[in-house]
Amino acid sequence: MKYEVFARINQGDETLHIGNVRAQNDRLARMYAHNTFDEEDWNYLAVVRAEDLIEVTGERPTARVSADE
Amino acid sequence: MSDWPEPAVDYVQAIADTKLVLGHRNAQWSLAGPSLEDDIGGASAAQEEIGHFRQFVNELASQGREKDWLNGKRNAEEFNNAACLDRIDGDWPAYVASIAPADRAAWYMIDSIAVEHLDGLITKMGEDEYFHLEYHDARLETLAEDDPEGIQSTLETTLPQALAFIGPAEYDKETDPLIQAGFTNRSITEIREAFEEHYRNLFAETDVSLDGVDWDAPVREEWDEVRRRVGGGSIGEADARQLRGTENELFAMD
Repeated sequence: MKYEVFARINQGDETLHIGNVRAQNDRLARMYAHNTFDEEDWNYLAVVRAEDLIEVTGERPTARVSADE
Repeated sequence: MSDWPEPAVDYVQAIADTKLVLGHRNAQWSLAGPSLEDDIGGASAAQEEIGHFRQFVNELASQGREKDWLNGKRNAEEFNNAACLDRIDGDWPAYVASIAPADRAAWYMIDSIAVEHLDGLITKMGEDEYFHLEYHDARLETLAEDDPEGIQSTLETTLPQALAFIGPAEYDKETDPLIQAGFTNRSITEIREAFEEHYRNLFAETDVSLDGVDWDAPVREEWDEVRRRVGGGSIGEADARQLRGTENELFAMD
């Protein structure tokens, strides 16, 4: 299962998307994120199942017209 | 003149040596994991365990133990590590099921030390150990699904060895020499109970049965209180040579 990883260095900073990990369950995903992204002394580090992430923006509008229209 | 009673020095020596060999095993297996994340975790834990060992070396040196000897200039059978780390028999799941009980046992033993000037050191180690032990448990849960027979078989060997490292069940509040000396605040009996309860809960909902584990080990009369094991044995000579750093002495800096 894919998990997106989010973190901030200091309290009050913006929480940023810093990468992703793949793990068999939530518990292991937490540890993988901790071990893999340990370049900073994070104030906050979180994982979110990629399947639970609901995107608000980012989908490009398309002008494509399908052949059967 | 030692401030600690001799059994306390031996107790910390066994913990320190377990940390050293844990670091060694983690480093040896840190390119053998099933994923990059497992390898990174193993390499990171290796560094932290060696860091814990070095802190204990300073404490043991202040109690009169010779620093070169502490740092590895000794025979294989003079390393008093938990017996489950002597060798890893098997593949990566066997490695996890060998190091996890040793690391948890060592932490419970450290956390029981009631020496005021070690409080800060123990708190810092506890911050590292939270992640080591949580990772081990998370991995044991997944391995219990993937390879229940292999995990069960390894634990039937390594859990009694970790219990021998903790100490005999007979050492309760009234008889544990370290409690009596005021060096620890939790008896061997209590540590063993917490250790057993943890693993019974961890595997309760899995296909791994712990019914074949000898939860009464070690037999008091057969227990070596200095090496915290029964039946002798040690790391291999190749391990001892690597821990001594003999081949790399040329590159050591004064």
